[in-house]
Amino acid sequence: MFQVIPPRPAPAGAAGAAAWVRRNLFSTPVNGLVTLATGGLLLWAVGSLVTWSLFDASWGQVWANLKLLAVFRYPADLLWRPLTVLAVVMLLLGATAGAARQDEILRGAFWWVSGFVALVALVAVLAWSSVRVPWAIAGAAPFLGYLLGRARPEVLRALPWAWALSLPLGFFLLYGVVPGSGLLRIAPAREWGGFMLTLILFSAIVPSFPLGIALALGRRSRLPAIKLFCIGFIEVVRGAPLIMWLFMASLLLPLFLNTDPNNLPAIARAYVMITLFSAAYMAENVRGGLQSVRRGQTEAARALGLSGWQTTRLIVLPQALRAVIPAIVGQAIGVFKDTSLVFVVGLTDFYRVTETIATQPESLLITGGVKLELYLFISVVYFFFSYRMSVASRQLEKRLGVGTR
Amino acid sequence: MSSARPAAAATGERIPIWRNVKAIGVITQVVFVAVLVFAAVGLTVNVTTALSKANLPADFRWLGVRAGIPIAETPIRYTTNDPYWRAIVIGLLNTLKVALVGVALASVIGVGVGVMRLSANFLVRTVATVYIELLRNIPLAVQIVFWYTAVLLPVPPRVNNPIELPGGVLLSNVGLAFGFPYPGERFGAWLPWVAVGVVAAVVGYLWRARAARASEQPLRVWPVPVALFVGLTAVGYVIAALGSTVREGAHVDFNVERARGTVFVDLDGTGRRSPGDPVVPFASTFVRVEAGELRTATQNLTESRREVPSTFRFPRILEREVERVEVTFVDAEAAAAAGFRLHFDAFPSRGVIYVDRDGDGVLGPGEDVDPETGAGFGGVELVMTVRGFERAIVADRDGQVRIPGFVPVGTAALGQDAAVTPATPTRGMSVFGPVGVADASAAALEPVGAVVELRPTGPLVWSRVHLPVSGYEGGMRLTVNYLALLFALVIYTSAFIGEIVRGGIQAVAMGQREAAMALGLSDRQVFSLVVFPQALRIVLPPMISQFLNLTKNTSLAPLAAYGELFVIATIAANQTGASVPIALMLIGSYLTISLLFALVLNVVNDRLALVER
Repeated sequence: MFQVIPPRPAPAGAAGAAAWVRRNLFSTPVNGLVTLATGGLLLWAVGSLVTWSLFDASWGQVWANLKLLAVFRYPADLLWRPLTVLAVVMLLLGATAGAARQDEILRGAFWWVSGFVALVALVAVLAWSSVRVPWAIAGAAPFLGYLLGRARPEVLRALPWAWALSLPLGFFLLYGVVPGSGLLRIAPAREWGGFMLTLILFSAIVPSFPLGIALALGRRSRLPAIKLFCIGFIEVVRGAPLIMWLFMASLLLPLFLNTDPNNLPAIARAYVMITLFSAAYMAENVRGGLQSVRRGQTEAARALGLSGWQTTRLIVLPQALRAVIPAIVGQAIGVFKDTSLVFVVGLTDFYRVTETIATQPESLLITGGVKLELYLFISVVYFFFSYRMSVASRQLEKRLGVGTR
Repeated sequence: MSSARPAAAATGERIPIWRNVKAIGVITQVVFVAVLVFAAVGLTVNVTTALSKANLPADFRWLGVRAGIPIAETPIRYTTNDPYWRAIVIGLLNTLKVALVGVALASVIGVGVGVMRLSANFLVRTVATVYIELLRNIPLAVQIVFWYTAVLLPVPPRVNNPIELPGGVLLSNVGLAFGFPYPGERFGAWLPWVAVGVVAAVVGYLWRARAARASEQPLRVWPVPVALFVGLTAVGYVIAALGSTVREGAHVDFNVERARGTVFVDLDGTGRRSPGDPVVPFASTFVRVEAGELRTATQNLTESRREVPSTFRFPRILEREVERVEVTFVDAEAAAAAGFRLHFDAFPSRGVIYVDRDGDGVLGPGEDVDPETGAGFGGVELVMTVRGFERAIVADRDGQVRIPGFVPVGTAALGQDAAVTPATPTRGMSVFGPVGVADASAAALEPVGAVVELRPTGPLVWSRVHLPVSGYEGGMRLTVNYLALLFALVIYTSAFIGEIVRGGIQAVAMGQREAAMALGLSDRQVFSLVVFPQALRIVLPPMISQFLNLTKNTSLAPLAAYGELFVIATIAANQTGASVPIALMLIGSYLTISLLFALVLNVVNDRLALVER
């Protein structure tokens, strides 16, 4: 009765590359002009960047100072310690991604990070003989971890503890045990720096998380004293820029504790301040999540006879935190970028190393200096990590349907 | 608990205190407050003992002490002799100067990028996406130092060698300078007209808006108030300008040797500016120099990563400002022996000397260096002889007028300066020149003969940029530090605003657009009448918080060495040791700014909130 008409090909000029170009680039005369102008501008910009990087830029100083950029003045013979920490963290990351491999977002982030580490490890194995072995281990660790996680998914249960332990143990290993000489001697905090320091300060997001939850819960508390304190803390901290708080930390913390400023390493001051600052923002994110949990959930929980604390812990918080994961990743990007402000307390993080390198005698010999090259290099690295996080944040948003609800 | 309550009430049994919710709450708070008070007392004790131990100030008396902080950008009058409070006020004003301009520019660029992100044109869309992703994901600190270096590098390092952009805009590593209108003598007479213009525009707007609401036809509201404002202020300007005048009793005290003068009101009639005489800011003057000489020597420079050998630079003088000008070698015989010739990049002020080896009469490659050593010809002395130099100069806000430091013609040949005494000034017009000559050998000197004349000014006076000696004078001057900070803040924030705008436009339901199109509205009408008003409601709140972020981010100014609030407070804290008072002041300032933004945000939210029935 019915005869199925075979699908006809799209009319000529509606499919194919030429049609795509016409539709997207030259749909109207104005559009065509805009395309030409933008294209010209783009060609000029990309072209001048490429010619500059290939012919005018002097990358030698960047290559020669990669150690400074990575760890600053951390003793060269102790480099195996940060690399061990890196290997352990990568092993854990690999195990986590391997055990939870149905989680595409986690897996994507894992391949990205482990790819980066593997790339650096490859360069290290080829070019830097003194750290060849630890770099090779660190480069292989994520993949070993991934295989382990895949083979024994039950490690997932132990992983949270392993992660929690890795932070203090990592600090411990970086700092060392015994004064004097030897493999485990103390590496003074003022010698830390570079990308390692950036990552260490970035880890301040971890302690800021429970603190932020506490502040957010306190802000919703029925008890006026606690509520007032939390509101005051959150608003005052958020009201002023981080750079000012860091400056305050270097001036006021020694006064508050009535100790000599030398007793408080700059890293500790910066770490505390970034934690507190991040906690205030975290609290506002978490509060958004708490508000999104519907009233019926709490009421149902209370009707079941759960106590106030149980309701919060078992019903409200899990839903609230799930909803704000993208916001928290967004905040992590912010903290990652904000670590570049610790120059105020005299620390030499990834960004600040560039100033050290730019004032080396070898750099000053180069006409025009090497600042632009250095800035470009660190920008690429910063971008690599922040952009990956923002991609993850968007994927999470999509999965949780935050935008569409 | 709640189930236990009726039972307890029925039996008259009291709830034990450790299970009483109210009691637990009270106890928790008491304990919490006690801990807080304990901590606060402990900290206060610590701070006071630490302060007294280190002998640091804990009060605000240091605010009145001389600051001695050099600040490059001073929106109000400032010297290093001024007290701390004035330096801090300048810091605050500088913060506002970056923040306000930054917010305006970031909104414009951000909206542009946001709209581009939704363009039907693939290339435009992609460029906007790359712009946003790239700039959002690189720390602002890196962007500031990048722009600071990138802005600084390609511009010429010497201020008397600026890049000349169209419209009289000059750019060098000191900064950007351009002509700018300043209030003249009749400014006060013009102001009432401006006020009337504003009132008329508001009334006109209200009237047209009401008409538009009542009308069946779409009606343009904006032309009427704009025309009213422009018309009234223009008429007022012309009327006020008719009475252009010189300030009553104004007088120029000009010193040729120092190549500078002061415009002031001579209250005590001494002819010289005494401490009690008020200066006249932005007075329009006209300077004529009959004859004079300028001297310089060649240098081998590095500019914008390029070697520039054998270069000479005189103070910037334009050809049209002089009747006659010539540049010659001080030691003509030696120059002729060496075969030096002059090549001008900008006649008569800038150029290089070279040896015309290929004999083609122009500067060829490699002719500006010594072929044997490869070095340029440095230290060759040159003299510029100028006759009939004329320049209209608007005094700065301190009443200062500066010209290039001419010396009498012939000084270069004699190799010594003549003793020069200025003549007695006459009222209104001052004539100075070397009249008495102490040294008989200097009899050949021709006097500089500078004449400075005051000209009447209207409501506004257009101040042009000029370069008398080593810095910009006149016009509006923006330092590279300001520009780099502004640039970075605007570009960084615009990426965030672009994303907000895109989200806002996309959040307007498709049905709205389709319904508007079905009603027969044009593309522009769909956007301006249907999509834009709805998007604005979504976009404004996050945008205002971006404005706040921009304002707080101005505190990254130390990276561009720009003297705003945070930088000056830091210097003050380091100089005085008054860290606690300065901390309080800084926190107070930033909280005030944040609160102001929060206030604006709330008002906007209230105005924009949907009226739900």
